[in-house]
Amino acid sequence: MSAPGKTEATQAIARARAGDADAWGELYREFAPAIFRFCRRALPTREDAEDATMDVFMKLKDKLVQYDQTRSFTAWLYKVAANHCWDVLRRRKSRQDKETEDLENVPLEHPDPNQLDKLIEQRTSEDVRRALDKLGGRARMALVMRYYSDMSYDEIADALGVRRAFVGVVLLRARHELRQALGESGALAAGGAL
Amino acid sequence: MTETDQPLPDDSMKHLDEMSCLLYIERQLDRARAQEVSAHTQECAACRTLLRALERESRLLTRAMLEEEEALPARLAQFQERARRSMHWIWTVAFGLAATGVYALYAWYVEPLQRELEKAGFGGSNLLSLLIFQGAFWKGWQPMIALLEVLALVTVAGFGLAFFRRRVRRGSVLALVLAGFCAALVLQPASALASETRKGESVGVSRDETIKGDIFLFGDRVRIDGTVDGDVFLCGHNANVNGHVKGDIIAFAQILDVNGDVDGNIRAFTNTMTIRGTVAKNVLTFDDLMNLEAAANVGGSLTIFTENLNLEGSLGRDILIFAKHFTLSGKVGGGIRMKGDSLTINSNAQVDGPIRFEGNREAEVATGAKLASPVEFHKMEHRPRYMQGHYYVWRVIWTAAFVLFGVVLFLLMPKFAEETIAAAELYGAPIGLGVLVFFGVPLAAIIACITVVGIPLGILAGGFWLLMLFTAEIVVGTVVGNWILGKAHDTAGLIGRMALGFVLVRLIYTGLEQVHVIGLLAGLGILMWGMGAISLALYRRLQPTIAGGAPSGPYAPPLPPNTTVGGIQPA
Repeated sequence: MSAPGKTEATQAIARARAGDADAWGELYREFAPAIFRFCRRALPTREDAEDATMDVFMKLKDKLVQYDQTRSFTAWLYKVAANHCWDVLRRRKSRQDKETEDLENVPLEHPDPNQLDKLIEQRTSEDVRRALDKLGGRARMALVMRYYSDMSYDEIADALGVRRAFVGVVLLRARHELRQALGESGALAAGGAL
Repeated sequence: MTETDQPLPDDSMKHLDEMSCLLYIERQLDRARAQEVSAHTQECAACRTLLRALERESRLLTRAMLEEEEALPARLAQFQERARRSMHWIWTVAFGLAATGVYALYAWYVEPLQRELEKAGFGGSNLLSLLIFQGAFWKGWQPMIALLEVLALVTVAGFGLAFFRRRVRRGSVLALVLAGFCAALVLQPASALASETRKGESVGVSRDETIKGDIFLFGDRVRIDGTVDGDVFLCGHNANVNGHVKGDIIAFAQILDVNGDVDGNIRAFTNTMTIRGTVAKNVLTFDDLMNLEAAANVGGSLTIFTENLNLEGSLGRDILIFAKHFTLSGKVGGGIRMKGDSLTINSNAQVDGPIRFEGNREAEVATGAKLASPVEFHKMEHRPRYMQGHYYVWRVIWTAAFVLFGVVLFLLMPKFAEETIAAAELYGAPIGLGVLVFFGVPLAAIIACITVVGIPLGILAGGFWLLMLFTAEIVVGTVVGNWILGKAHDTAGLIGRMALGFVLVRLIYTGLEQVHVIGLLAGLGILMWGMGAISLALYRRLQPTIAGGAPSGPYAPPLPPNTTVGGIQPA
């Protein structure tokens, strides 16, 4: 998949690193929409996303010198955004989420493939976005990192502070939560064995 | 029948688990396991359906997330510009902080001084009071103080709002409660904050009285003879604690005598403090003179910054002392760490812990003194100021203070500030006038003070000379700022240049200061240049009849034809 803002503005990055305010402005204009959408998906409200976008770009000013130019700028930028959003979510409601559950001990119910297929077919992007709003912080972050910014399992593990082996579990749990929210009933999740 | 419509498989067939399917489509399985999954799905329709459903789910998720259903908010589109303009906000904060500082100085120093002067007979309608506090020079003084009060409160409230802004917008109940609490703090009188507050010439807690909770006492004479169940916050000239305080004492007093019992700690800022009673916990004080008399018994430790400390009583634990002289005649249950000038340990002293003394001369220890170990003495090294870290810390603090002072002046008198900077940029004239003002004004003030009638004039002139002295570096800094950034077109620009230039002048001067003659000359040059510029601007102001095109005075060249006196000089 291709995330937005893929264009590597190499020259602008180099100039911004050297303290050129105009170059920073160019980077902002190019990447702010993508980062805003990332934050919009990851955080509960539009205002949170706006704040986070500004914060990410303010951080970017300071952190740009740390950026390794041999790697993808977009990926690095998403990582900064992911870390910031996760910090925001964690600070706000870590106790209310299911974040502290022991992932190893959480049983995952098996879906009915046919019903799942039907559900996916019936739902629109708008439905999915609404359902995302109902998810817990970790589930939401995991899905956004994976399916919006195409982050690797290693990067997701790093951002969420979990072992790499559990990223799959986190993603699967997130999908179950999403299906639950999409179906507004436990029918799918309780679909029983194949 | 399609795959989707196929019935669920029976239990005899071993199917893939959902996790394996997900990891397969996400390409996270190792080669062997991926081949197993691939092979299985060739034969198993149910697992194939599941794989396909998961893939579709992934695509749906990606599509839902990538869709640009809402445009970039205007707030974010304008963010770059707002970030650039955010400096203005910083200046506003700086001004608010400066106002808060000035008001604090007034409340803590000037106002009490005024009261003291009135008590000393300078109140009412005598000449000095008439000229200084009620004369034309001070007209508008009270409204100015009221304005400072408002600015200070607005600054505090502004910080509060800034802190809670995001939370309030999100409707956080906690933030609203806290904001309300802050508002209550600001709006309610101080009495609402304490269990009880007493103010007056002479205030206290009488012998048979018991205060449930904390008490705030403000007065010239403060006396506690009764019992206080909570903490005591006292502020006064003479304070006596003869009763029983079950909490802590926090005191600001000229003289504080503790004769009673304190179950908690004492934290005090005093001139002279004497303890004759009992303090169960620790004592932390900043004083000129501190006496722990023979009857005194402090259960905890003593941390003290003082000129002189006499300890005759008993102390349960350690002493940390920064003092000039420390005379020990009592008992110390712990060790002593002292930095100061001299330490004298008398024969009846007893110290149960180690003694480490860093001073100018060896401690004097009387033969009968009972010490757990000999005094460990370290000769204090007197390094040059520039070798000491705190010198630079204070330079930074003073630089910040001067910049704030400059911000206040520029905002209060923007027009005069511009005129002064314009005058300073004439170079020759202000420096020449500065030499005259620097030496002449103090001399004239002294001569004026010799004659009784001239005293107020002499005091005013001296005061104004001092004000110019403190302002001179700010003027020079602004000129330097103009050199670097070009001429400012508004007050905010002028303030920015002042801050930048002042810091640079300070940096350069800090270096030059280390070379005595050059440092002295540089300092004098800065002072004379700045003072001359202020004097020149003031001189021009005092020439109301001067019209455009006419010479403005002996030290200034003719004004440009389109200049009006007191107006902004064209860039």
